[in-house]
Amino acid sequence: MPRRVTEVDPHLDIETYDPSADLMVLNLGPQHPSTHGVFRVKLYLDGEIIVKAVPYAGYLHRGVEKLCEELTFVQIIPVVDKNDYVSPMMNEQAIVMACEAMLEIEVPRRALYLRTIFAELQRVASHLLWLGTFGMDLGGALGGGASLFMYCFRERETILGLFEEVTGCRFHYNTHAVGGNRHDITPKFCRDTKTTIEVIAKRIEEYIQIFSSNRIYRDRTQGVGVLDGDLAVSLGITGPLARASGVDHDLRRDAPYHIYGELDVNVFTESAGDCLARTLVRLQEMCESIRIVREIIDSVPEGPILGIKPGKSPTHIKIESSQRYTCIESPRGELGTYLIGGGSNRGASAYRLKIRSPSLHAVSCIPYVFPGHTVSDAIAILGTLDPIMGEVDR
Amino acid sequence: MTPLVHGAVWGVVIATVLVTVAVFSIWFERKFAARMQTRYGPTLVGPAGLLQIVADALKMMQKEDILPQKADPMLFRLAPPCAVIFTLAAAAVIPFDEDVLAADLDIGVLFLLAVGGLVVFPVWVAGWASNNKYALLGAMRAVAQGIAYEIPLVLSAMVPVVLAQSMRLSDIISVQAETHWFVFWPLGPGLIAFVIFFICSLAEANRIPFDIPEAESELVAGVTTEYAGMRFGLLQMAEYLHTLIASAVAAAIFFGGWDGPFASGLHWMVLKTLVLFFMIFWIRWSLVRFRSDQLMALCWKYLLPLSLVLVMLSALFVYVRAMDA
Amino acid sequence: MTGDEAQRRFVALLQERFGVDEIPAANYPLVDARHHFELARVLKEEFGYRIYAFVVASHYPAAPDAKNENAEVDAEHYEVATGVRCIGAPAHLASWRVRVELDQALPTLFPLFAGADWQEREQYDLVGVRFDGHPDLRRLMMPEDWEGYPLRKDYAIGTACPPWR
Repeated sequence: MPRRVTEVDPHLDIETYDPSADLMVLNLGPQHPSTHGVFRVKLYLDGEIIVKAVPYAGYLHRGVEKLCEELTFVQIIPVVDKNDYVSPMMNEQAIVMACEAMLEIEVPRRALYLRTIFAELQRVASHLLWLGTFGMDLGGALGGGASLFMYCFRERETILGLFEEVTGCRFHYNTHAVGGNRHDITPKFCRDTKTTIEVIAKRIEEYIQIFSSNRIYRDRTQGVGVLDGDLAVSLGITGPLARASGVDHDLRRDAPYHIYGELDVNVFTESAGDCLARTLVRLQEMCESIRIVREIIDSVPEGPILGIKPGKSPTHIKIESSQRYTCIESPRGELGTYLIGGGSNRGASAYRLKIRSPSLHAVSCIPYVFPGHTVSDAIAILGTLDPIMGEVDR
Repeated sequence: MTPLVHGAVWGVVIATVLVTVAVFSIWFERKFAARMQTRYGPTLVGPAGLLQIVADALKMMQKEDILPQKADPMLFRLAPPCAVIFTLAAAAVIPFDEDVLAADLDIGVLFLLAVGGLVVFPVWVAGWASNNKYALLGAMRAVAQGIAYEIPLVLSAMVPVVLAQSMRLSDIISVQAETHWFVFWPLGPGLIAFVIFFICSLAEANRIPFDIPEAESELVAGVTTEYAGMRFGLLQMAEYLHTLIASAVAAAIFFGGWDGPFASGLHWMVLKTLVLFFMIFWIRWSLVRFRSDQLMALCWKYLLPLSLVLVMLSALFVYVRAMDA
Repeated sequence: MTGDEAQRRFVALLQERFGVDEIPAANYPLVDARHHFELARVLKEEFGYRIYAFVVASHYPAAPDAKNENAEVDAEHYEVATGVRCIGAPAHLASWRVRVELDQALPTLFPLFAGADWQEREQYDLVGVRFDGHPDLRRLMMPEDWEGYPLRKDYAIGTACPPWR
């Protein structure tokens, strides 16, 4: 049976743990069908119960932060897209907001509305992908999980089709620029969005029903992987993970950016902190995102979408030596950018750019949450942590 | 014809037909699963993708035969064919029509369950001989699950035996043809016994929701992790065959076999088998899997006591009916 | 409490209890390394800043002041910026910088924030800052036997390395 997390010692010395227990070391990954990317967890198993779990990150480390010191601010936007490769809009917005805050550029209202719409649609798409892969984790790629995966991706494809209409890319858009957006929306986009979100809203109701009524889903997720709220915030975990553990914290409501200050963002929390709670929080967040899009899609003000003169060279954005941290609420939590200006190319590059990735914090809770569970539970928990390796490793 | 020749001829025929049906059921499953998932499934190879399976089988046969370095060579090679053999052997006693069966044993049901229970061995041996921790975990789970679910399977199969007062499968079907199908037996022990038998067959065949031994998302490929090419193909075919034979047995002992409301014959048996087979696919592509301890709890805490009660109920029923007569 | 009020309270705390005189406009305040742990503790326990937001280390190589040739050359050092946040509105972020000399180690925040475990490991791995009292200071992103700290300014982006096996 799962143990309470307060008894767990993440730095348990396995040599002295229990000499009589014949522990088996099992490597979950880096090549594994369901570690959500290249990720390795070394499990010490006593039969089927995990005694100690040691996660190893860094298999997908591509040196993005170093690269950002060489490339200019204009050039790093498509590079940073590939961090959280499931919700690229968020990555772009985080970087672009950091530059705008340092240069104190005012972004036009129309661009802010566009950014909010894109962010909320991206949130729905990201949670749909999470739901599909979570179903596969629970039920196998050849089974009921695959059916859920196909349904979720059917919905996600419609959203990606909307993005393709606006930016030309289904994925990794490069649609944000320092000072605003690069691509504008059309009335056709608004019409398509409205029909799409109505369809998705209906389907999400079905998914909520699956999770609350199917006995096997409940058995696999209820009481599994309980994450204490205090431990979560101490680890730096924010977003749906923390909200499922009872932490009432959402940057869209508490520290608003874009136009969230003018909207009423409902924040959903659950107190159980188990996999079922995280699932329900994300499902409800999807409904909330759809509600936000429905509210603002028709009231996008007219005007320009870029607040500064479009530059002709890659070095037209220059930031002097100063430091600032800006953050947004990504589908995984607080995605932040710590930017120190005054780098090479006479300030056209960053001196130091650190991307505060929520998935890295989420993954660091594994030594606390895994012990006491079986291997099947470990996969279910890893699914609900929703780690994106591109973001964990950068 | 002596029983030996009769058995040999019909045995070969039935085995061939069953293997062919199992192989083409893979095609059916892929199409059916695809339609459930709003996609098409195989469409390119052959009309409606029918030759896809042939293409896959040919592909598997020409793959490199990999033997892991530290694997036990004899056991590793022996496990997949044994899985198929043991599964097919159980089909010897299933009557597909009044005289279409390989061996009309008077201990038919006992033979069926005994040989069917042997299927756990090749699965476990495959996992053990692979010298792979994932395979080992899968094998241990397979053994635990196989042994545990054997008991309610046997007990629920006893219900038709008790009701028909005979273990010979053709007798069971004749009794059903005269009275009514055991699944509709009044007071309900038949229907519940069928449901328990069905669930336990799913568990014995390692089908979702009981496919913990080959749980793909947790244990890479579980028991079959180190197997490649035709050996993997044989293990998969053993699973499909086991499911098919379990459906055939359920059709025979609960649904009256070749008996039908009109024009009894082989076609009824085939129809019932395929309907049950179809239901197994349906369940597979809708549900997620149980965790191993929940699976065990389901068996020991719920199915076992229930099937015991059902056997006693059916014995009581027969006694009362005999007293009345 | 609004964000501005929270910021004023934080600045007052720095000035009164931690001897910070200068609050720069475009940078985060610079706190002495000896007060680093105590400041974090006060923020967490007395003011409720329980969310561990970030820790960022940057490497500043020795660079003469280009404008003033007679000025002292600023020695090579690291600068570690830490940020913690309070839960709920206004979600104010309290962040400060600490100057760490090359041979100096900064006290770890692990006893206060469990997230410091991996975040400090990452900064050690990529920049080379050492943290005193850290339970398990080893590389996170790079392979265990890597030599050199990639995010330092003297580490060229095209540094050759043997293929990783």
